[in-house]
Amino acid sequence: MIRAASLLRASLASALLVVFAFLLFGPLANLALWSVAERWYTPYKLPVVYGTRYWEQVFRPTGDAMASLGTSIWIAILTVLIALALSVPAGYALGRLKLPMRALFMIVFLLPQAFPSVAIYINVARIFYHLGINGTVLGVVLVHAAHGLVYSVWIAAAAFAAVDKDLELAARNIGASALRTFFTVTLPLAAPGIIASGIFVFLESLDEFTGTFFVGVPQVITLPLLLYNAAMGGNYQVASITALILLVPSVLFMLFIERFLRADVLAKVGS
Amino acid sequence: MRILTIACSLAALTAASPVYAQTLNVASAGDQNMVDYVKDYLGPLFEKSHPGVKVVSVGTGPGDAGSQKIYEKLDAQKGAGASDFDVVVIHQKAAGTMVKEGLLAKYTDKVDTAKLVSSETAKNALGSDVSGYVMPMFQSQTALAYNADMLKSPPNNFVELKEWVNKNPKQFGYNGIKGGMSGVAFVAGWVYAFGGDAGKLIAGPYDAAEKARWDKAFAELKDFNKNVVITPGNAGTLDMLNRGEIAMGPVWVDMFYSWQADGKLPPNMKLKLAAPGMPGQPMYYAVPEKSAQQKLASEFIALATSPQVQADGIVKKFNWYPGIDAKNLEGKLDKAAWDKLFTDITPTDLAANAKPFPIAPYFNDILEGYEKKVAN
Amino acid sequence: MSLSQRQLALLLIAPGLALVAALFLYPLCFSLISAFTDPDGGFSLQAFAKAYELYSGDIFFTVVIVVTSCALTALVAVAIAGTLTLGENPWIVGTLRALYRWPLFIPFIVAAQCMRTFLAKNGLMNNTFVSLGLMEPLQAVSYLDWRGIIATFVWKQTPFVALLLAGALAALDRATLEAGRNLGASRLRVLIELALPQVLPTLLVALVLSFVTMLSVLSVPMMVAGSQPTMLTVDMAFRINAYGDYATANALGVITYLISAGAAILYLRHGMTKETAS
Repeated sequence: MIRAASLLRASLASALLVVFAFLLFGPLANLALWSVAERWYTPYKLPVVYGTRYWEQVFRPTGDAMASLGTSIWIAILTVLIALALSVPAGYALGRLKLPMRALFMIVFLLPQAFPSVAIYINVARIFYHLGINGTVLGVVLVHAAHGLVYSVWIAAAAFAAVDKDLELAARNIGASALRTFFTVTLPLAAPGIIASGIFVFLESLDEFTGTFFVGVPQVITLPLLLYNAAMGGNYQVASITALILLVPSVLFMLFIERFLRADVLAKVGS
Repeated sequence: MRILTIACSLAALTAASPVYAQTLNVASAGDQNMVDYVKDYLGPLFEKSHPGVKVVSVGTGPGDAGSQKIYEKLDAQKGAGASDFDVVVIHQKAAGTMVKEGLLAKYTDKVDTAKLVSSETAKNALGSDVSGYVMPMFQSQTALAYNADMLKSPPNNFVELKEWVNKNPKQFGYNGIKGGMSGVAFVAGWVYAFGGDAGKLIAGPYDAAEKARWDKAFAELKDFNKNVVITPGNAGTLDMLNRGEIAMGPVWVDMFYSWQADGKLPPNMKLKLAAPGMPGQPMYYAVPEKSAQQKLASEFIALATSPQVQADGIVKKFNWYPGIDAKNLEGKLDKAAWDKLFTDITPTDLAANAKPFPIAPYFNDILEGYEKKVAN
Repeated sequence: MSLSQRQLALLLIAPGLALVAALFLYPLCFSLISAFTDPDGGFSLQAFAKAYELYSGDIFFTVVIVVTSCALTALVAVAIAGTLTLGENPWIVGTLRALYRWPLFIPFIVAAQCMRTFLAKNGLMNNTFVSLGLMEPLQAVSYLDWRGIIATFVWKQTPFVALLLAGALAALDRATLEAGRNLGASRLRVLIELALPQVLPTLLVALVLSFVTMLSVLSVPMMVAGSQPTMLTVDMAFRINAYGDYATANALGVITYLISAGAAILYLRHGMTKETAS
């Protein structure tokens, strides 16, 4: 009896898993299908003609998918550098030091994510015009960094908070300076969390569309912008191919994220 | 901080790329096909005749929104030394505003092909005098696309359309007014049909009291909307037609033909221009006042409006109606390519039912009235 | 030591704050001023009146979408994280662990493009159901409206919430949970009564982040659903793109800000109860 019941449960769970997998991967499979559909119209349930015509179109010499991909990655790397340069000290202050109005400061970093970015970016674009950095990589990087800072600061704060205080004390006791203790003990221990925060920022930057749209166009065309133009222009094949290119880094990082984000750090995020 | 400095200098490095002697920046408002037109067809053609020149084609997005973006860019760079764009491709509404605010340069007297254009749209953009500042790139038209398998006799006018939608709920789709111009054109057509005097809306003069007369039309449109599908964008309507999810919807004629040629629409789709008509519009080539490449820009436009390019590029490749007068294309184009433009919508239909958009103030009133009384 | 710890902390946090101030607070002031200013430059609520007149339906729509999406996301994420922590069949737990994170970093714009063709009336989902005989072709309906937006949001945000939640659950003291099981409580009861209360702060934070993210996404409502009703981000973009009407757009921005402030207050209140408790 008991065996039959547990068998039933296992098969029910498996069935749920199959449905889950379908809902998860169906949309992605759909993308792959569209990317090779040369002709596809009603009432056909599958493409009428398959082919790689649109792949050739995307990667054609005058096409800009590869250039956009390069721009996107380059911007993301610079964004990570800036965000980490700002968030490591800030995260240490929030995670380790006594800070007046700590909750308020945490909220301040959340604000760029909390306010609908559209309204902010228009005004940012106006300010950038005056500074002459509209339509430059630098302008886009700054916008992305401000946007991603909440992830890097919050996760860095959690990472620092998770570092065992006794280890630092021990280092201080044997005569290490505060700075030396930070660089030889605290920072290496917090490094996995900080790397994870860098990954978050990297992907936020790759993902970012609205800010680039207002601040980067027309000189800086990232992959999401390319995708948007193709999608709104109704070219689902080109949009799907661009989307597939964007998927590669996203999925790679997803597969490796738990290497860096340990459970004890995760438990402290935002607290 | 050192990282920041390095990052900044690296960023500055990437921003500067003086490989070509001259760069001509062409910004197009509109769907991706227009950006591709410059990138894949017109740009390389111009580079061939102007060695050392690099044409950079950028798109600022579909619909009036794309033009507004160009307007904002030029407006913000009013005080700057040179604008980012040398040639802009813009919609009618924005063209009027830009001319009024002095953002565009008068250039057509420097372009020989200007003589080939006699249409009213080259002088008047929704009530604004733009003569001298613009050349039409092409003319396009909205119409109702329908699936001829599901629907043998399409409605001849908006009253019949209303009845048909009542009998066939959720079989008609359009994209409202936020997702592109084909939905906007449909709403304008609705107001032409049920809101009184279309001629007055098109020719002006503006009378602020006029909009009060559209209340009934908007109330009816709100009822009508209960039985239609609201699609995401110009392309969304075509996509739903393609997937058999709706049987009829307003589309741009050029996009319709391009999609059909690409195999993205069933072969049995047809077009119908219902009375009293729906709007069409040209796209304009214009040169920003602050462009550092004025001469090169007018040479580019001269090429773009030459009869051969209009025949091969505009008509044959991209299914638009030519921007210059049709008689100049004689002999440049085989008859089949020309006739293809008029398969479903004959020149007679066009003459009777192809309307311009209303003049700008009425246009804005219609859009706002729609948001207030129909969408909300 | 001339610097007190507080001063040092403030010094370290200053550069980050400066960036946020320059690229967020400063433009925010711009937008607030424009929302509360009439065309003549005086103070006015005119823009808000117009925003309400044109978009009251969309304000309601946005709140419903975001709240529903968050609730569904929480539900699915708890189910996933709970299974991962308390599941007993290693094969199922392993498969789920390998699966659930896939959408984690997929950009919203990619998710929108996927869903746009997946959820359509004759999209892959309905077609699959029809082919499997689960559904008659005539029963197929399009989900490309509010349901599509919610589906996309839940699809994209669930892995994020589940990841944080699973991490927090894994860090819990196993002994208490085991004790609960040994006392005969079902796994569902252990999850709801023993485990969840302890990880509620993490769940709350993840949901607050998801909430504001959903409120700021432009691409999904634009690409997945038609334009009426739609979410406030689309309305804002439209006000600016079609009319250059910054006042009304910024008024809508302020309204969205108030909505997300509601979520932030939840977080703050939680922070305060914790501080008084400790």
